[in-house]
Amino acid sequence: MSDIPVLHGTTKKQRYESLVAALYQDVYRYALWLCKNQPLAEDLVQETFLRAWRSLESLQNDKAAKAWLFTIVRRENARLYERYRPELVDIEGQAIAERDENEPDFKMDRELLHNAINRLESEYREPLLLQVIGGFSGKEIAEILDLNNNTVMTRLFRARSKLKVEFGIDYEELN
Amino acid sequence: MNEIDFRKRVYTDPAAADQEILDSAASNPDLQNILNQTQKMDEDMRAIMSAVDIPNGLKEQLLSIPEAEQARSTSSDTLNALAEKPAANSGIFQYFAVAASLMLAVGITFSLTYSPDYTPVPSAAEIAFGNDVIDHMYHESNEIEAINSGLSLDSVGMSMIVNAMTGVGTRLVSNSFIAKTPVRFAKPCNIIPAYDSAHLMVEGSQGAVSVFVINNSPVSIEFKINDDRFNGIVVPMINGNMVLVGEADEDIGLYKDLFSENIEWVI
Repeated sequence: MSDIPVLHGTTKKQRYESLVAALYQDVYRYALWLCKNQPLAEDLVQETFLRAWRSLESLQNDKAAKAWLFTIVRRENARLYERYRPELVDIEGQAIAERDENEPDFKMDRELLHNAINRLESEYREPLLLQVIGGFSGKEIAEILDLNNNTVMTRLFRARSKLKVEFGIDYEELN
Repeated sequence: MNEIDFRKRVYTDPAAADQEILDSAASNPDLQNILNQTQKMDEDMRAIMSAVDIPNGLKEQLLSIPEAEQARSTSSDTLNALAEKPAANSGIFQYFAVAASLMLAVGITFSLTYSPDYTPVPSAAEIAFGNDVIDHMYHESNEIEAINSGLSLDSVGMSMIVNAMTGVGTRLVSNSFIAKTPVRFAKPCNIIPAYDSAHLMVEGSQGAVSVFVINNSPVSIEFKINDDRFNGIVVPMINGNMVLVGEADEDIGLYKDLFSENIEWVI
């Protein structure tokens, strides 16, 4: 993922526009999976890109851009939830249902896996989101989460192990 | 490669299966099965995590941030020149300005009704405001502790209450109210610089209950705030809002009803 150029252009505005175009969808997806609330996710994304605009001069290379944005999302989310603890709702389950309505078994499998991901403890879910949505390497995830690389690897291993335990039957029967 | 090592490497990053992994899988059907299962699960996870509808107009909102920032900067300069006071650079000014600039940029209509079963949630600015109120509780911890410990049971007089509330443009509707609900503390407070607020404290069942009345603060919906110690509620009012905060076990709803009925805006 990190090789995608995201800072095209000669002016600050052009560079910002290319940053938005390249990354806003992934940043929004990450924000939504993190906070599980659509309006808050939009707020997080807006705050993130506002900060990005203000500090764009300090961002010198494409490879750092995505990790930088994801880090801001994560910190802003933590700040918001420092004292505000709403009842969280499951996100977007209905979107999956609508898209796969002609394939009931497939839909059910996806919903079960979706719920299993949501039930993961945050220490396992966060690195998984960063790897799957962000496409980050273990080293990049370690930097974003401020953990050492071995811890990240262990958590990724345990995350998938837990998902397989929770939602392993169909996958075990694959062959 | 034994199965445990194989699982460790595959589970850590199924997409990064190298030749050693592929060779091991090719020579052992059980390992091949593990690899296939894990890659299939990851493919499904990727599809699930991507199956998020991006809000209409989000990209345009983000692209308009530079213009909104420019407008904010211009209006900020103008306000600074007009106000000629330091408050214009305060934290709240900045987050109102940010909110204002986002509203300019986004054309926000507080789109809190996008579906029939939607439950409104506070915006980031509203949550930040709630955080500031809770922070303020700790600034007043001496007074709160004095009430909680029974050291401060004197009631403040109506003149102090009036003094605290006049700046906000509010008043209590009757003297009889404070006869039934003694006010232990009342003063103008500066929770949010540049916005007037009054801070009253009454004695609740679990300790001091603070009642803040703030004019022109950025609240559009009622929402709860809390931390490990306090719980509270932010209530939009006609010309501002009221925030009630007490200890975690306090039934704040009682005080919300009580003060909602007994505070009147006079501006």
